[in-house]
Amino acid sequence: MLRFILKRLLITIPTILVVITITWGLIRLAPGNFYSGEKPIPKAIENNIREKYGLNKPWYVQYGKMMGHVLVLDFGTSLKYEGQSVNGIIRRSLPVSAAIGLSAYLLALLVGITLGSLAALKQNSKLDYASMALAMVGISVPNFVLGPILVLIFSLTLYWFPPARWYGFPSRGMVLPVLTLSGIYMAYIARLTRAGMLEVLRSDYIRTARSKGLSERQVVMRHALRGGLMPVVSFTGPALAFLLTGTVVVERLFTLPGLGNYFIQASLNRDEPLIIGIVSFIAITLLLMNLVVDIAYAYLDPRIRY
Amino acid sequence: MASLYYRQLFAGLALVSLVLGSISCRALATNPAFFGSTTPPATNILRYINGDEPESLDPAISSGQPEARIYMALYQGLVEYDPKTLAAIPALAERWDINDDSSEFVFHMRPNAKWSNGDPISAQDFVYSIRRALSPEIASKNAYLAYTIRYSQAFNEGAVFVRDPATNQYLLEKDFAEEGAVQTEPLSQKPLTPGGPEIKPTEQGPAAVPDTPFHQFMHSPPRLTLPGSEKVRAKLLASNAKLQAAVAGKEFVKVKAEDIGVEAVDDYTIRISLSQPAPYFSGLAAHQLFRLVPRKIIEKYGDSWTDPANIVTCGPFKVKAWKHYDELIVERDPVYWDAANVRLDEIHFMVSSDNPTAMNLYKVGEVDAVNNHVVPNGWLDVVRPKKDYMDGAEAAIVYILMNVTKPPMNDIRVRRAFNMAIDKINYAKSRRITKPLSAFTPEGIFVGYPQPKGDGFDPAQARKLMSDAGFPVTKKGDGTYECKGFPVNQVDFSFNTQSSNKTMAEFMQAQWKQNLGITVQLKSMEFKTFMNVRSKLEYKGFAIGIWGADYMDPFTFLNLFSTPGGDNGSGWWDKKYVDLLDDANRSLDKQKRYELMAKAEKYLLDAQPVIPIETSSVNFVKKPYVKGLYPNAQSVYAWKFVYIERDPAKWDYGPPSLAD
Repeated sequence: MLRFILKRLLITIPTILVVITITWGLIRLAPGNFYSGEKPIPKAIENNIREKYGLNKPWYVQYGKMMGHVLVLDFGTSLKYEGQSVNGIIRRSLPVSAAIGLSAYLLALLVGITLGSLAALKQNSKLDYASMALAMVGISVPNFVLGPILVLIFSLTLYWFPPARWYGFPSRGMVLPVLTLSGIYMAYIARLTRAGMLEVLRSDYIRTARSKGLSERQVVMRHALRGGLMPVVSFTGPALAFLLTGTVVVERLFTLPGLGNYFIQASLNRDEPLIIGIVSFIAITLLLMNLVVDIAYAYLDPRIRY
Repeated sequence: MASLYYRQLFAGLALVSLVLGSISCRALATNPAFFGSTTPPATNILRYINGDEPESLDPAISSGQPEARIYMALYQGLVEYDPKTLAAIPALAERWDINDDSSEFVFHMRPNAKWSNGDPISAQDFVYSIRRALSPEIASKNAYLAYTIRYSQAFNEGAVFVRDPATNQYLLEKDFAEEGAVQTEPLSQKPLTPGGPEIKPTEQGPAAVPDTPFHQFMHSPPRLTLPGSEKVRAKLLASNAKLQAAVAGKEFVKVKAEDIGVEAVDDYTIRISLSQPAPYFSGLAAHQLFRLVPRKIIEKYGDSWTDPANIVTCGPFKVKAWKHYDELIVERDPVYWDAANVRLDEIHFMVSSDNPTAMNLYKVGEVDAVNNHVVPNGWLDVVRPKKDYMDGAEAAIVYILMNVTKPPMNDIRVRRAFNMAIDKINYAKSRRITKPLSAFTPEGIFVGYPQPKGDGFDPAQARKLMSDAGFPVTKKGDGTYECKGFPVNQVDFSFNTQSSNKTMAEFMQAQWKQNLGITVQLKSMEFKTFMNVRSKLEYKGFAIGIWGADYMDPFTFLNLFSTPGGDNGSGWWDKKYVDLLDDANRSLDKQKRYELMAKAEKYLLDAQPVIPIETSSVNFVKKPYVKGLYPNAQSVYAWKFVYIERDPAKWDYGPPSLAD
């Protein structure tokens, strides 16, 4: 097991370097500069700016400098936000994204697994149809539609929750972004749980458990749920990584100072150090999450051994 | 089963009616004359939506609007913008004197001004700040605004003087002027007449300021400056034999910060020498580029001097906390020289890049005012009739640039035809809040300026011009037009992706199709991509452009087309146009100057490198209890005059008047 983890970690490093190199290349290919704006800048001033930020150096020097930053995990200073370190930006925006993302995922798990299991246990009942119809709606309605609808109802007409901005964790202001973000995950998890549970409920070991005379409650909680949740677990890895790092749309919609908002802004600003920093961070998180999922698999499924 | 179904249906209906009921209750609870809640906050804190996250708290760095508003709270210059007219009003300078042709300014600073850490503010602080803002190392995007200050452009561009090591004499500009160029020097460069008062005394106080060696230097004939980069210089010398011969054996001396025309005559007197008359300079001096920054703190902390823990400011407010991407909180600075008249305790500059979100926050009363241009077009029907909707003329214009370096747009007849084929009045009607524009300066902003008129809407004449240019427009059987010979694949309309731009482009496309029978393809691009394509003239045909005034003078618009090399997005440049503008700026009389400037504008309109479309309009909302915040032409606000009014009788019902 340890060997497996080490091997996976070692593969992670070249993967991240490749991701960063490609990202760096794409930023350079994209037209425009971090300093260009609506007002044209005189040539001499543009020269001053390029000199100041080392943009007139050859590409390999710039690449080397960037890689140097990445290797020590210190991503330098943002170009757009003068004097702010990229690490500092990630450090302060991650908790916001994490608070929203994790809350949303916990909510999604809670509601999704409950609905999915109930639907599977009462297959073809009204409850089943109703929850699966709801899940279908959840999957089909994108969060940039769900968000404004929730704001319209709960904020602009009922005045229950603020329509935007970050008020700390936990706060009333989190309710609408968390609901918006969790909608689609809730729906996915409900469907995955239902499918997984249905398959497991028909399997031999459940029949065995039942024939042993275990109560229905024990059968479901101890045996069926554990197997039925396998698809949910494999979905959790990437889902969690994206929730942690890239709740882009929701953060934008609700003006939250999270990582996703910075990411999109950095790309629009052509803010190279910030883009590289966030991409590296997301890449590392994503790969680590996948590793955690693999380990969780081994724990949940006795047939898998590394 | 059936009864269960009905029961559910009934429950559902009950819920819906409950929701609807609560909506109608709410609608009654707020004042229908205004958009959303009108309850003033309990404290004297203004919550203001300020747009994007500010880039930097260093006033020399950023050129964006959100930053400009923050700088106005945190920093002071010699002068401040009048909250209504934007004219210069006293700030760190109590008063100022101007010489006869507006080429030399003397500012008398108040002795009681302090930094937020209690240190006194002196004239040396201003000299340090402007030298820093102009230094190539700071690389300020706004530096060009100060280029009228003597030798400041040369300093900012890293240029050099040419000195003869034998005699220690510098080569002079006038010896290398082009043949036939008119040499009219501003008074600031003419030798001083001994004894004669250079600046007439005013009733506010004596104007006499002692002469100094630096002042003598300013009044000597301008030195020749050459590019600092050896490569560029060699190229220039190779093309000019006279210059080449003159610099042989001479040495190049870098233009230093100490050479620019700003002098601290004593601790509280600043003398600024310009390289040309600029009556608008006192108004321009309120710009953030000219605001004071703390030398000691910058030298101590370097780049991190703007950290909330380190920062020292000189404005009516100082930094309290900066929650990034959320809000910047500034609080009243008790040591500010006019603190007694600052009525807000705090301002919260909130970040929101999404207009509907900002409007939602405003409606539920989470914020008290939003920044300019935030009300989305689709909301105007609802918001515009409300009494908290602010509109007014804006010193900003929207236009279409044409790439005159590529055919068929290099033919002036074609450019004129495209201009005349647009019904701008109808377009402005469809936009609802803007005014149609046929000139290149905004309409109704500069009082007394005899703004020239460009060609109006005249489709028949447009078709004739197209035919003259070799692209005959013919009428088809169904009454529509076609222009078979026109190379439609050589022309398209580029703009940055934004719904208002798309609406505009589609309108123009329809107009050209209807009146000229030409279908121009639309090309929507991401903002930075578009800016790149436009500045490098990589687009074909048309590109959208907007420009807002840097200072309240027509020159801030007309100057766009005077940069050498056609670096204005169209590729058009004409020496005659630049000369006309120079003539205007040399004029001593304000009205005469305006007339000459209008002549230059007419020349530009006749050459038609650009199709003017509209004068923009102020477009935001503020709660009626927010007073002292005026919908002025540049959307800059002197925050010290803003306050919260709790008595509804004194509220603003509609946009407050800009008249004094």
